[in-house]
Amino acid sequence: MAPPVQSSRSPSPSPSQPSGKSEVSDLKLQLRNLAGSRAPGTDDSKRELFKKVISYMTIGVDVSSLFSEMVMCSATSDVVLKKMCYLYVGNYARGNPDLALLTINFLQKDCRDEDPMIRGLALRSLCTLRVANLVEYLVGPLGSGLKDSSGYVRMVASIGVLKLYHISAAVCIDSDFPSMLKALFLNDTDAQVVANCLSSLQEIWTLEASTSEEAVREKEALLSKPVIYHLLNRIKAFSEWAQCLVLDLASKYVPSDSNEIFDIMNLLEDRLQHANGAVVLATIKVFLHLTLSMNDVHQQVYERMKAPLLTLVSTGSPEQSYAVLSHLHLLVMRAPILFSSDYKHFYCQYNEPSYVKKLKLEMLTAVANESNTYEIVTELCEYAANVDVPIARESIRAVGKIALQQYDVNAIVDRLLQFLEMEKDYVTAETLVLVKDLLRKYPQWSHDCIAVVGNISSKNVQEPKAKAALIWMLGEYSQDMLDAPYILESLVDNWDDEHSAEVRLHLLTAVLKCFFRRPPETQKALGAALAAGLADSHQDVHDRALFYYRLLQYDVSLAERVVDPPKQAVSVFADTQSSEIKDRIFDEFNSLSILYQKPSYMFTDKEHRGPFEFTEELGSLSVGEESADNVIQSRRFEASDNDLLLSTTEKEENKVPSNNGSAYSAPDYDVSSASLVAMPGHSESAVLNTNLPTHAPQSSSGIDDLLGLGLPATISSPPPLKLNAKPVLDPGTFQRKWGQLPISLSQEDTLSPHGTAALTTPQVLLRHMQSHSIQCIASGGQAPNFKFFFFAQKADDTAAFFLVECLINTSSAKAQIKIKADDGSASAAFSALLRSALSELGMS
Amino acid sequence: MPVAASAIYFLNLRGDVLINRLYRDDVGGNMVDAFRMHIMQTKELGTCPVRQIGGCSFLYMRISNVYIVIVVSSNANVACAFKFVVEAVALFKSYFGGAFDEDAIRNNFVLIYELLDEIMDFGYPQNLSPEILKLYITQEGVRSPFSSKPIDKPVPNATLQVTGAVGWRREGLAYKKNEVFLDIVESVNLLMSSKGSVLRCDVTGKILMKCFLSGMPDLKLGLNDKIGLEKESQLKSRPNKSGKTIELDDVTFHQCVNLTRFNSEKTVSFVPPDGEFELMKYRITEGVNLPFRVLPTIKELGRTRMEVNVKVKSVFGAKMFALGVVVKVPVPKQTAKTNFQVTSGRAKYNAAIDCLVWKIRKFPGQTESTMSAEVELISTMVEKKSWTRPPIQMEFQVPMFTASGLRVRFLKVWEKSGYNTVEWVRYITKAGSYEIRC
Repeated sequence: MAPPVQSSRSPSPSPSQPSGKSEVSDLKLQLRNLAGSRAPGTDDSKRELFKKVISYMTIGVDVSSLFSEMVMCSATSDVVLKKMCYLYVGNYARGNPDLALLTINFLQKDCRDEDPMIRGLALRSLCTLRVANLVEYLVGPLGSGLKDSSGYVRMVASIGVLKLYHISAAVCIDSDFPSMLKALFLNDTDAQVVANCLSSLQEIWTLEASTSEEAVREKEALLSKPVIYHLLNRIKAFSEWAQCLVLDLASKYVPSDSNEIFDIMNLLEDRLQHANGAVVLATIKVFLHLTLSMNDVHQQVYERMKAPLLTLVSTGSPEQSYAVLSHLHLLVMRAPILFSSDYKHFYCQYNEPSYVKKLKLEMLTAVANESNTYEIVTELCEYAANVDVPIARESIRAVGKIALQQYDVNAIVDRLLQFLEMEKDYVTAETLVLVKDLLRKYPQWSHDCIAVVGNISSKNVQEPKAKAALIWMLGEYSQDMLDAPYILESLVDNWDDEHSAEVRLHLLTAVLKCFFRRPPETQKALGAALAAGLADSHQDVHDRALFYYRLLQYDVSLAERVVDPPKQAVSVFADTQSSEIKDRIFDEFNSLSILYQKPSYMFTDKEHRGPFEFTEELGSLSVGEESADNVIQSRRFEASDNDLLLSTTEKEENKVPSNNGSAYSAPDYDVSSASLVAMPGHSESAVLNTNLPTHAPQSSSGIDDLLGLGLPATISSPPPLKLNAKPVLDPGTFQRKWGQLPISLSQEDTLSPHGTAALTTPQVLLRHMQSHSIQCIASGGQAPNFKFFFFAQKADDTAAFFLVECLINTSSAKAQIKIKADDGSASAAFSALLRSALSELGMS
Repeated sequence: MPVAASAIYFLNLRGDVLINRLYRDDVGGNMVDAFRMHIMQTKELGTCPVRQIGGCSFLYMRISNVYIVIVVSSNANVACAFKFVVEAVALFKSYFGGAFDEDAIRNNFVLIYELLDEIMDFGYPQNLSPEILKLYITQEGVRSPFSSKPIDKPVPNATLQVTGAVGWRREGLAYKKNEVFLDIVESVNLLMSSKGSVLRCDVTGKILMKCFLSGMPDLKLGLNDKIGLEKESQLKSRPNKSGKTIELDDVTFHQCVNLTRFNSEKTVSFVPPDGEFELMKYRITEGVNLPFRVLPTIKELGRTRMEVNVKVKSVFGAKMFALGVVVKVPVPKQTAKTNFQVTSGRAKYNAAIDCLVWKIRKFPGQTESTMSAEVELISTMVEKKSWTRPPIQMEFQVPMFTASGLRVRFLKVWEKSGYNTVEWVRYITKAGSYEIRC
C-alpha cells in the first residue's frame, strides 16, 4: 500500500492544499464501521486504513478530522497498529487538545502493560503529545518509567523528562525529575539510559542556569572529576552516538594538572580509530581543548590528528567528507606549518564538488611555503583552466595570495602574467586585481608587469573590480606606460557608460595622478573628468571631484602631495576575520560553526530561545578568566598587527604638513582607494588610532564644523556621574550579576554616520569606550552586526556596577542598548554618559 | 549539546514529501517549503550540503533518487548528523533487502516511521544496530504481506540487549556450516601530470566481512602490515619471515574491534556481528602499485583536426586480468566526426559527455593496448583557446590484485564449542578517481 502518488497535482504542490476531501470522509466512515468490530481480520483491515491515513498525513493532506475515529480504533493488541495510531495522535494532538484527552486513557493503560516494549512506546507517545494542559497526566507515568525494571522503558523515560521540560519547565522541576535523572545518570547499569540522562540533564541545566543558582552548580557538577572519570572509564560500553555525547562533555572538562591530561588522552587514544567520523571528531575536540595551555603537546596533537582526519576525508559520502574537511580546514588555518608537507592531500580531483574544491584551495594557499610553493602554484595553474569558472577564479586568487605571502615571487609573477595571455575574460579580470595588489607590495616588479598590462585593451575588461585595478595601474605607472593618458582620456569620454561608482572614483584619481606626471598630455582629460565628476549623480564621486577641484584651485603642489604622495610598499595585507572570532569558532569545534566559519550566536535563531539566550551565550563567551585573558592577548596581538600594516598610511599622513581640514581628509582618500583590497577596516581604525591621543572630543566637533559636514551636534556636556577609570570585574561575576539584576533601561539609539563607518571591527568601539571608562568584557560579531557586553563602575562607590548589552547594526546605524545597574537611580545618568560616548564614536 | 536533528524529511527529486518526522518543536512545520523554495528550485542545489535559511540549518544529501534533509535550529553536530543519515539508510536497506529508493520508501513507509521512532528520540540518536532492532521491530515490509497471525512478542531479553555491551551480536546463533567471507576492496586514486609524473596517489581500502558463525566466536585477523608484523616478531622473538610488508597510513575499525588490544598488540581481534559488515577501512599513500600506466598524446592539427593516441599498459601480474576497463578521453564540444583504430576492445564517441569512450572487457596483465583516433572538428569562430583539456579518466576492476600489496596472513576463529570454520578471502582493486592529465 503506497501513499498516493502526487503526479496529478500542480508542479509546485502546496502541502496544505486540501485535496482528497471525499477520500477523507470515506475513510472516516470505514474507520467508524471498524471501531467496535471484534470480528477476526479486523486488525488487518484497520492496518490498511491506518496506512492510508498516515500516507495522507505525510503528503500534507489534513486528516485531523479523523481524530476521534482513530482514537476509537486504537483499542487493539496489535503493536504495529498501536504505533501508527500513536504517530497520528502525536501529530495532531496539539491541534485538538480536547480530543487528545481521549487518548490519555489508553496511553496510560499501555504504560502499565506487562510488555516493556508497549510500556516504552506508550510512554514515548505520551510525551510527544505536547499539549500543555495534559502535563498532569504525564508526571505519574514518567515517574514510574524512570524506575521501570526494563532498560528500554528507562531509556524512553529519561528523554521523556526533557520533553516534559520543554512543555512545562515548572512541572518538570517541581516534580523533582532532574534529581531523579541525576540518580539514574550516576547509577544505571544501562549505557543508553545514562547517555539519555546526560542529554536531558545538560539541556535542562543549561536552560535553567539563567534563573537558578542551583542549576549553575548542577551544570558544573556534570563537569566534575568523578563524573567525567566515571563516564570515560566506561566509554566503550556506550553506543557510538552516546560516545559523541560523552566526549563532547569531556571536552569542557578542565583537568587539574598535566598528568591528568595525559591520562585522559591515553584513555581516549583508541577512539581515533573508530569508524564513526563523529566519534573521531569528538575525540579530537577533547584532545585539542585539553592541550590548549600546553603549546608543544598541542602541536603534537595536530600531528596525531592528521592521519585519522585524512582517512575520514577520503572515505564516506561527499557530504560526510565535507563535514570533516571543514574541520581539517580549521586546523590547517590555525597551524599551516604543521601541514606543509601534506599539501598533496589537498589537490583537487576533477569530479569533486566545488564546495570541497574551495576548501582545498584555501588549504593549499595556507600551507604554501618555500619548499612546496613551486608544486602548489603549478597545480593551481592547472585549475585556472578549469571548466568550473568560480573554481578557476578561486585558483587564480590563490596564486595571488601565495605571491603576497612569499618572498621569492619571480616565478609566481611570471605565472600570473601568463594568465593574462590566456585571453579569457574572467582570468584576465582576476589577474588584474592580483597584479595590482602585488605591485602595492612589491613595487620592484612594476617593469615586468607594466609591460604586459599595457597590452591589455581596456575594452576587454568589464568587471568593475578588474577595471578599477587596471585604472589604478594606469594612474600609478602613467610615466612608464606610453599611452596611459590617452587610454584614460578615452575612458573619461565614456564616463556615462560606466555604471560602477567604484570605477569612476578610481578614474578620477588616476587622471589626477597622471596629470601630475604628464601635465600637457592629460590636462584635457582632467578637465573632462572633473566636469563629469561634478555632474555625477553618485554622492561620493561628486564629492571627490569637488574636493579635487578645490584642492587644485587652492594649491597644485599641495594637491600633488595629498593625492599622489610617494608610497611605501604595503607589508602585510589584513586578515578579514579577527582572531577573537577565530578562537570562538575553534571553541565550537565539531559543530555547524566550523562549516559556516562563524560562531554559533551568529546563526542560531534566538527568537525561539526567549529569555535564556543571553546566559547561554555569555557562558560560551567567557569560560573562566583564562579565556578572557586569551582574548585580550589576541586583541593586543592584532593591534600590533595593525600597526605593521598601517605604517604606510600613517607615514603618508605625516608627510602632509599641518593644516587641519585637508590633513584630516588625506587618510580618508586613502581609505577609499584601499577599499579595493578589502582592508578598509584597518585603515579606518588607523584614523581612529592615530587621532585618539591627539584630539580631545571637543576639538573633534571643531573639525566637524570646519569641514562643514553639517552633522548634528550630538555631543552633550558630560553629566555629573563619574566613573572609575579602571574598574575590575571578572566574567563570572558579570554573568551572575546579569542574571540577577533587572533591566533598568532599554533603548534604541541611532549612531552617527561617522561612527558606523569607523566601526568596522569591534576593537574600534572597545578602545573608544575604554577612553570613556567603560570597559568591554566580551564582544563579537561580524559586519554589519556586532554585540558587546560592557561594564563600568561608579568612581565613588566600588559596589555599584553598570552592565550593558549593546547590539549594533552598522548598516542600519542602529544600536540597541540594555543597561542593568546595581544602583538603579544612577542608570539614567549612566545612560546619558554611554550615549554621549557612543555618539562621539568616529569623531574622537 | 550535540543535537543531530530537529526534523528529518525524505523527499523525491520533485520535492514531494515521502516521509516527514518532526522530533523537536524548535523548527516550524513549513521547513519542506523552505527547502524546496531556497534549495531545490534554485542553483543552490548541490553547491553545498549545508545551508542556512532563516534561523534553521538544512543538512541534506541525495541517495539514489531521494533527498534526505535534516533540519536543525541549534548549533548541531554535523558529522554526527550525516553519519546518522548514512547509518539509517543502511538500516532501512537491511530491512527491505537491498535497494533504497523512492519506491522502496513508498512501499515501506510505515516501517520507516516505526524505525525513525526507535533510532532517534528528541533529536538524539539512539540505537541504530540492525541486529538488535530486528529483535523487536519485526515487521517485514511488503515482501511478506501481513498475515493475521499474532506478531511474536519480543524475546524477553530483547530489551536488555537493546543497550547491552555486545550490542552488535545476539546470542544463541547456530549455523550448520560455519563460514567466513572476507572481501578486500581497494580503490586506487591517481592524479598524473601530462608529463607522466605522479602528482598524487593513494589507496583507500576496506575489508568487508560476511560471517555465518555459531555462538560467540572470537576472531583474530593477521595482515602483512609492517607494524603488526614487527610487533609479532618482537613478541615471539623470532625474526621476521621474508615477504612484502606494507605500511598503513591510518586504520579505522568497526565498533566490534577491540581497539585497546589493537593499540597494545597490533592485532585485530573481535567478536563479529552476524551477517555482513565493514570490518575496517585503511589508507595508504606509500608504495602503491599502480595497475595501469596511461600514455596519451594529443595533437591538434590546425583548427579542425585532432589526433588522439592513447596507450594503456597493464603492470600487474601476467596471470591476472582486469575487467570492465573504460578509458574516457575528453574531446572538444564541436567534435563532428571520429575515426578509431584500437588493438583491443571497442571505442566510440559519446557526445553527451564529450568523450571518446574506449571499453575493453578483459585486459590481461603485462600487456599493452592502444587506441588511435582522428577527430574532426566543426570549424567555429570561437577561439580554440577556450577548450581546456579535462583529464583522461579510467575505470577498471582487477580481481585478486591489491594496489597496496595488502595480504591477509591468517584469520583465526575461536569458539568454545570448537567447530571448524571455512574461510574465503577475495581481493579486488577498483579505480577510484584515476585521472591522467593531457
